[in-house]
Amino acid sequence: MNSPLDATVLVQIGPVAITQAIATTWVIMAILVIGAFALTRRLALRPTRPQAALELIVTTLDTQITETTGAAPAPYRAFIGTLFVFILVANWSSLLPGVAPPTAQLETDASLAVLVFLSVIWFGVRAGGLGGWLKSFAAPNPVMIPLNILQSLTRVFSMFVRLFGNVMSGVFVIGIVASLAGLLVPIPLMALDLLTGLVQAYIFAVLAMVFITSAVEDGTAQTDDPTPSLTEKEP
Amino acid sequence: MTLDWWGLGLQAINVLILVWLLSRVFWRPVAGAISGRQKAALAMLDDAKAAQAKADAALAEVEEAKAGIAADRETVLADAKATAEKDAKTAMAAAQAKTDALVAAARADIDRNRETARKDTAKKAVGLSVEIAAKLLGRFNTPGVQAAFRTNLIVAIVGMSASDRATLTTVAVDIDIVTATDPETAERTEIERTINEALGGTPCLRFVTDPDLIAGLELRSAHFVLHNSWRADLQTILNEVENAG
Repeated sequence: MNSPLDATVLVQIGPVAITQAIATTWVIMAILVIGAFALTRRLALRPTRPQAALELIVTTLDTQITETTGAAPAPYRAFIGTLFVFILVANWSSLLPGVAPPTAQLETDASLAVLVFLSVIWFGVRAGGLGGWLKSFAAPNPVMIPLNILQSLTRVFSMFVRLFGNVMSGVFVIGIVASLAGLLVPIPLMALDLLTGLVQAYIFAVLAMVFITSAVEDGTAQTDDPTPSLTEKEP
Repeated sequence: MTLDWWGLGLQAINVLILVWLLSRVFWRPVAGAISGRQKAALAMLDDAKAAQAKADAALAEVEEAKAGIAADRETVLADAKATAEKDAKTAMAAAQAKTDALVAAARADIDRNRETARKDTAKKAVGLSVEIAAKLLGRFNTPGVQAAFRTNLIVAIVGMSASDRATLTTVAVDIDIVTATDPETAERTEIERTINEALGGTPCLRFVTDPDLIAGLELRSAHFVLHNSWRADLQTILNEVENAG
């Protein structure tokens, strides 16, 4: 059994190694895009059952975003929703025989965390301007600048470590049990892995939303009101 | 454990592309469909509100028109009732007047008929009385009665003016001596003698029998009649009764 920390390289193109995780990501991307295109190709005013299910998903996501941010969900819907759907599908792809979930690889989780880190900066700057976003690090006083910078890095780091640890450990445990006990014994663990994958996708998406909301509120507060207000929430 | 930075960057690009693609083919279309349905629902609600407002306005107009119709109906009914009452009173008055006139005319007819009947009855009664009296008096046509009539005739002739008596005696006209029964010769002679003496001349006398006299003795000529009989008396009574009635 290979170490779950090792990536299986399929193709090496110069310095770029096309690993199994990247290939799986492409497959997942293709499935999601093609499936989404097929499902949304014939949207009608009077919805069919699949369209109603899609609208239920979007409505639920919008509700979550609204409850978390208190703002309109449209600017965040695509990023947060895609994060959730991709991580969920990636986590659940481990159920397919011979498929390793991309989220069980450090690069995938780290890239997701980097995207969240960049999106926090993007939405923060867009809400309060560059000055407002930078001032948010000096809240409640400049002494907190190092701590706030460290916090913005560590919380993103904790996100990808949490996701990586949970998914990788699930795959690792299932691999160990399967190698020791046989084919059907890991099924309860796989069911638990389904729940874990769902929960981790939800946590990652909600945390990303919370971080973005915190940056937006802090940047806005620094622009409108000199009084700092940190409302960062973490589940 | 090493981190493949190329792999990290590639996965980040993959996820960014996925975000962009899903935003194009999934999130925006579905959110647009939801928004479109919400807009359509709002439009339908607005249309429904507009239709309801229109219906309410139409209903208000109908209610107003109904109230106007009801008021007009009441007015028309009141006018019709007043006109009908007025016409009824007029017709009633006309009918009452006509009825009164008819009743008055009927009463006048009844009174006239009653008076006429009464007069006819009285006339018949008088005629019947006269007829009964004539029949009763016919039984008393005795010589004494005849003598009394002869005396009355002589008194009547004597009571005439001398010129009238002279005219009767000088005019060459027959004078009829009318009796109820045919007198005997001696009696005729006696009658002629007394009449001639009363007249003071000798006119041309002729005896005529008329049972209608019942009893009596009369003188008649072409231009002169001297009544002296029960028939004449009864006729006189009859005339007086009729004139009195």
